[in-house]
Amino acid sequence: MSTQEIIQQFEPKQHNLLHILHALQDAHPENYITEEALEAAAGHLGVTKSTVYGVARYYTMFSLKPRGKHIIRVCASPVCELLHVNDIIAALEEELSIKTGETTKDGLFTLELSECLGQCQEAPSMMINDKIFNNLTSARIREVIQSFKDEARK
Amino acid sequence: MNKQVTITIDNQKITAPEGANLLQVAKDNQVAIPHLCYHKKLTPTGACRLCIVKIEGQRGMVASCAVLVSEGMQVTAFDDELEEARKYLLDYLLSEHNEAFDGSYSDEFRELVHAYGLDKAENRRFPSIWKELGYPKDETSPVLSYDAAKCIKCFRCIKACDEVQGKNVLSFTNRGIISYIIGGFDKWGESECDGCGECIQLCPTGAIVEKPHRGEIHMDNGIRKVRTTCPYCGVGCQLELLVQDGKVVRSNGVEGVSPNDGRLCVKGRFGYDYVNHPDRLTKPLIKKDGKFEEASWDEALDLVANKFSEIKQKYGRKALAGYASAKTTNEDNYLFMKLVRTVFGNNNVDYCTRLCHASTVTAMLRSLGDGAGSNSIEDYETSDCMLVTGNNMIETHPVTATFVKYAAQRRDAKIIIIDPKWTPLVKDAHIWLQPRLGTDVALLNGMIRVIVEEDLIDRDFIEKRVEDGMEAYEALKALVGKYTPEYVEEVTGVPADLMQEAARIYAKAERPLIATGMGYSQQVTGTHNVFCLINMMLITGQIGREGAGLNPPRGQNNVQGVSDVGASPFTYPGYISVEDEENRRKVAKVWGVAPEELDGEKGLSTVEIMQAAYDGDIKGMYIMGENPMLTDPNLNHTEESIRKLEFLVVQDIFHTETTPYADVILPATAFAESEGTYVNSDRRVLRVRKAVGPPGEARQDWEIVAEIARRMGKPLGNYQHESDIWDEIARTAPIFAGISYDRLEHHGIQWPCPDKDHPGTATLFEERFNTPNGLGKLHPVDYAEQSERATDAYPLILNTGRILYQYHSSTMSRRNKALTDFANEAYVLMHPGDAENQGIINGQKVKIISRRGEIEDIVVKVSEEVLPGELFMPFHYSEAPVNKLTRDELDPYSKIAPFKLSAVKIEA
Repeated sequence: MSTQEIIQQFEPKQHNLLHILHALQDAHPENYITEEALEAAAGHLGVTKSTVYGVARYYTMFSLKPRGKHIIRVCASPVCELLHVNDIIAALEEELSIKTGETTKDGLFTLELSECLGQCQEAPSMMINDKIFNNLTSARIREVIQSFKDEARK
Repeated sequence: MNKQVTITIDNQKITAPEGANLLQVAKDNQVAIPHLCYHKKLTPTGACRLCIVKIEGQRGMVASCAVLVSEGMQVTAFDDELEEARKYLLDYLLSEHNEAFDGSYSDEFRELVHAYGLDKAENRRFPSIWKELGYPKDETSPVLSYDAAKCIKCFRCIKACDEVQGKNVLSFTNRGIISYIIGGFDKWGESECDGCGECIQLCPTGAIVEKPHRGEIHMDNGIRKVRTTCPYCGVGCQLELLVQDGKVVRSNGVEGVSPNDGRLCVKGRFGYDYVNHPDRLTKPLIKKDGKFEEASWDEALDLVANKFSEIKQKYGRKALAGYASAKTTNEDNYLFMKLVRTVFGNNNVDYCTRLCHASTVTAMLRSLGDGAGSNSIEDYETSDCMLVTGNNMIETHPVTATFVKYAAQRRDAKIIIIDPKWTPLVKDAHIWLQPRLGTDVALLNGMIRVIVEEDLIDRDFIEKRVEDGMEAYEALKALVGKYTPEYVEEVTGVPADLMQEAARIYAKAERPLIATGMGYSQQVTGTHNVFCLINMMLITGQIGREGAGLNPPRGQNNVQGVSDVGASPFTYPGYISVEDEENRRKVAKVWGVAPEELDGEKGLSTVEIMQAAYDGDIKGMYIMGENPMLTDPNLNHTEESIRKLEFLVVQDIFHTETTPYADVILPATAFAESEGTYVNSDRRVLRVRKAVGPPGEARQDWEIVAEIARRMGKPLGNYQHESDIWDEIARTAPIFAGISYDRLEHHGIQWPCPDKDHPGTATLFEERFNTPNGLGKLHPVDYAEQSERATDAYPLILNTGRILYQYHSSTMSRRNKALTDFANEAYVLMHPGDAENQGIINGQKVKIISRRGEIEDIVVKVSEEVLPGELFMPFHYSEAPVNKLTRDELDPYSKIAPFKLSAVKIEA
């Protein structure tokens, strides 16, 4: 679907802005919202550019920069932190050869931090796209990442 | 509603209206509670918390900006605990703040920091952390810079843009401590910002500051502030000019006074640099052997006086004529008019109003007896319905438009736009009717028929206030009978249901205003268009009270005033006819001349003067501050006419397209170098004050005019100061009788003001119209097809108009970098369908040809702003003189030229 086709699915009411931004981001192969898309959304809703941009920048789940195919969000809230999520983050950074906030060269993964994922009983936790991974260990990290890489190779 | 209550602040008893804002009440009573985020013009934010107070019966400290006063309220504004809390809050803000200060702006935050002793590091408890926060600077705007490290996130700029200017261009980005203000996608220069600078004016720190002259300005180093009136459009915004080293270096809006209450547009705030431009004329110039040579004033003035006298002697007194100027003061124009009438000895004096609102004024004079706007600018904010006809007010009267947008955005007023071209106000409009060019009479007659058919008329009003009452109405009713919705849709292209809804909303509204512009006036049927508006207004009784009436916003700073002081071929100061014996006697008495010396025959109008020059009847001409070689219609004809003159004097501040044809050029002063008054669109007489000296030997216009008269042997009077001239105007024109300079010190006064104790008149026609019998008059008029229409040879219809960033022939506006940075290139708008048909792409340069002339190298902007078959071009640019294409076939009543409709063809 083109940007306009996505946007035209929504009534031109300002309360639809978040839905439109999600739809635009999800439809982009690089998991982000382009400036052209932001402009089209502003035009559709009859609001100024900064209104749309301010909202998109307020929420961490929106990105205005290209990202990988898979978005890894590691929980950085207190319970996970008590259970050594920093080791998990280090393991991910090593496994993916990137720093937090970056995207792998092959465009497969982006590593981000997140507020509490609500999985404290099985912390530390992370999400990859819409899927939750709990009770993380460095070994489990390597396993999970490998499974995504294998899938990509198919 | 406005019940008065008594409250106590720190033991001081204060009376205030119930429900008033506590912080504002305190401020108004000299209790200076510190605050940063609050501003009188904005809704309270409660972000800075500095305005905390204690209120008996309420827990803790509350932000006084968010409290409404009620009877018996006991307030503590200052005690040790409150002061300690304020200091803590300031200290906290300071830790995230870059304190570097270059002295180029006023800084409320810095003043408070000093007042609380926090400028000394030892008094602070928080370390400075702003450097670690990575705040950006945005320098992308042509007119302002934003420094997030100096921003305290008080919301004032966001609200200034949204609530005051109705633009909502600014927003926050990010969250928490690293949030900051953005325009557009974090690039101010690529946002919708149009540079009005309201955000700068309301910023309490140095976060948003003007770019021009920033490096030179030192606020505490001998800066003078001079209050005056803006030299651009007819809103009459009150400016405070900052003068340093004899040069205007900044312009702010004056808060708290009408008409603008501190608001400005980009021209008012950034358009003053032309005053100090090196191109200014500084010495009289005399053409010798085809070349201009500098001359002394004596030499130039003697030559002018001798030549004019010679022409008068040789060809008779009708052989001379003058163009007055809508840009100069009332005093300048009054003396100019007096020179033409008493020294030239005829009534051949006119000015650009003939090219602008003459038709509106003619229709209003015939129907209502006054040609000026009937309401105050404030009414635009409180009206519940605005019918905006042929009026791109966001670009032409940006500050008036802020009131209109406020009404639409915050008071649910319904805006109805009639315009063949899209204008930015359409975004706020309830209905946009888009008739084909030249079909307005049919559209309005259709609306009147709806009102008649649905019985939405005001019988009582018609019977009491309209000449011949219901009989006249029946005649109108009979005429509009054939304008059925189907017929009107066929002629105009406007969907019948939209036209019907618009008519109903207007007729049923409580306080409907009509704001009519050039789109209605600059047509062959200009007077008819406005007759139709007045017909509709009179049968619905929608005039003669606050918020209801007819208003033509005037295009230039003093168009209104120049008419008012009588620079017209038909009327003396105060709209009294030159053809009336009794008037002539009265005026002659004030002027101390014999009545028979005043010509009892009306003079020639702007375009007629040029035609008479062409025919050899006018031999000598005096042009003050006008540029007919760019702004008159059918320029090729104008050029031939001007060339035929034996002697032409042009008085201006720059060389213009007209000066090359002059025999003598006289250098005049610009607005910031002049004293006097202007009259704005809502009839407000406003003071103009001298802020800086003139360049070189330039003189104020009236002094030059008076010298020429003296040297022609007929002195105009003994004037020591501009106020002497004004006092004579007040003696001549009854509408100004009660106005004097001392009354204009702080506020303008709206005419008519018949005596010294009269407060001025906000609303016209409340009791009676200004016609001889006091009644309004209906003028039923039929739609007639235009003589100029699209043909196979000239298949497109060209419309012309203005843009926000340029002004008139752009001799002033184009000499400001800030304005040309925004817009500096001519273009023609073309509908995508037409572009495709003609194989023209966006950005391509074309030639445009009409039956009268052609212009080349015009960039096409493909745009849905215009209808298929129609084009639009701004007229400001001398390299793209669109008036080579326009017609001088005049509206028979007002002699206005149809700038809005020319058949053309395009060649790639």
